[in-house]
Amino acid sequence: MATPGEQSGVSEGDVYRLRRIESVTDAALAHLDVEGLLAELLDRVRELLQVDTATVLLLDASCQELVATAAKGIEATVRQGIRVPMGKGFAGRVAAEMQPVVIEQVDHTNVLYSLLLEHGICSLLGVPMLSSGTVIGVLHVGTLTRRRFTDEDIRLLQIAAERIALATQTRRAEVERAAAAVFQRSLLPGRLPVVPGLELAARYVPAEDGGVGGDWYDVFTLPSGRLCIVIGDVVGRGLVAADVMGRMRNALRAYALLGGDPAEVLSRLDQHVQHFEPEMMATVLLTMFEPSFERLYLSSAGHPPPVFALPDQPTALLEVPSDHPVGVPGGLRRRTTTVNLPPGALLCFYTDGLVESPSSSLDVGLERLCESVVAGPVDSLCRQVMSRLVGDDVPCDDIAVLAVRRQDSGDVAPLDLVVPALPWSLRDIRVAVRRWLSAVGAAPRPVADLLVAVGEACSNAVEHAYGPGGGTVRVQLELQLPYVLATVRDTGRWRLPRNEDRGRGTLFMRDCSDDLRIDHGPTGTNVVIRRRLAQVSSR
Amino acid sequence: MTGAKVECSAEDGLMHISLSGEIDLANAAVVEDEIRSAVSNQPSAVSVDLTDLSYIDSSGIRILYGLASRLQALRIVLELVVPLESPTRRLIELSGFESIAALRPGHC
Repeated sequence: MATPGEQSGVSEGDVYRLRRIESVTDAALAHLDVEGLLAELLDRVRELLQVDTATVLLLDASCQELVATAAKGIEATVRQGIRVPMGKGFAGRVAAEMQPVVIEQVDHTNVLYSLLLEHGICSLLGVPMLSSGTVIGVLHVGTLTRRRFTDEDIRLLQIAAERIALATQTRRAEVERAAAAVFQRSLLPGRLPVVPGLELAARYVPAEDGGVGGDWYDVFTLPSGRLCIVIGDVVGRGLVAADVMGRMRNALRAYALLGGDPAEVLSRLDQHVQHFEPEMMATVLLTMFEPSFERLYLSSAGHPPPVFALPDQPTALLEVPSDHPVGVPGGLRRRTTTVNLPPGALLCFYTDGLVESPSSSLDVGLERLCESVVAGPVDSLCRQVMSRLVGDDVPCDDIAVLAVRRQDSGDVAPLDLVVPALPWSLRDIRVAVRRWLSAVGAAPRPVADLLVAVGEACSNAVEHAYGPGGGTVRVQLELQLPYVLATVRDTGRWRLPRNEDRGRGTLFMRDCSDDLRIDHGPTGTNVVIRRRLAQVSSR
Repeated sequence: MTGAKVECSAEDGLMHISLSGEIDLANAAVVEDEIRSAVSNQPSAVSVDLTDLSYIDSSGIRILYGLASRLQALRIVLELVVPLESPTRRLIELSGFESIAALRPGHC
């Protein structure tokens, strides 16, 4: 770009005033958005050319219309949301011809809007704002008295337009990048859901140079009790990709709610994308877990397969056939793969940014990933994977990683409590039961139910199992997903309920459990209570 | 040992009883005595607030049932204040209290 001083016929004073337009890095302007920055620069343009009005219309490429974005001396153009189609009226002509246009006497024949006439504008000069050879808008100035704009005026305004175009593009990119980052963060689960029986951890790192991309992950449960884990990557970058990602995430949730296996859900998403987002494409891996977590179903729309790790076994990529990405017309039928998930097994989902880098091939990245994954605690696994595969590198693509591990019985030891069969043991039992249920992540309703059911069974034992010699009550809790299995035993001879209050206790036990079994035997009584760990009771 | 608090106040013949803490087999008899002594002076209506009760079992429900039957015989109106959706509410409803006492979800 030429400096103002090199422009022939530009005076000393003009050079100074042009510099003022160029100085968009002023601290005073740094906090302004695009509109605010333009308004400030237009004041400087008015000063430079000694005109009454100055206006910027920016091109909305989606509809090929110029939108009044900033104005000085004629602010109403912005307030009224003036839009000018390409080629129409004064500004439309400037943009379409990509040439300066001068009107010495404004009248109905040469302007589209009467607004300019109403404000008494007499003469106009407009120049295109260009960026890399394409029109991004129009800058025009006007005077209330008749003025013959000179070639020098035109040249000055062209230089100003050049500077303003550059400043606009730069500021737009900054604002968009910041907005996209905030937007994408808002779409990723801030905190992963607590799923009793599973451990979950995730990492998301945006690329450092070009702003955010369209990577996303999602974890949610369905009314059937199935758990869904999604990881996906929308092709493209910036606000547009983040926006499409947000819509895809919600569409996928909605389609999953309709039921069906992962292949069916991805087929619906595919139709949706092809119809509503015809220009977009994404890779998606959808995984559904049985409520018991013993089995999972996967379908891949062109997404890299997850890493599968079992305790004491070599880690490998899970064999999931890859179908076409969503948004690609004419694909074949999608497939769902079924995989057994033994206790302690771990899956690591990721996006290609983790395994692809300019310095090494995809195969090398995948190999390094498999070497880094072990069937251990998920949070330290995420840390290890990021440290080994990203390390000090500057990520040139978004990276999303999500690890899920099925807990084995060793992770939450069953509760086994033996207390004297006395009334004051009841509170101690409740404390222990509450603590254990909180450790396994039980929801409030099941906690309340189990406290009552276990409490009533224990009260029965305290009141009726033993004679004056006394005895003990044993309370055991264990996870048998999706249930908690509670067992209350005594070694006494349960005497028959004596009054209706005991009958009420049994009624409460039944109502608070999904399944209740009471076995009286010669060696004592066993009460076995089954209650779902999730909020919903089958009753 | 299980802990419960029984707080009573009377105004214009209306007896307010507020129960908080936990009630089970261990303290049911104590709680019952405290309530019994509170309502001995023939009020015209009794309101029992269970909002701050964090646990109650069938022995606690038995006390309330005993109170309800006694007040019914004396033609004294009984009202139970129990938040909707609370564990206490479920047990109260399960025990058929609606036929012998008015259930209200919260304070006026």
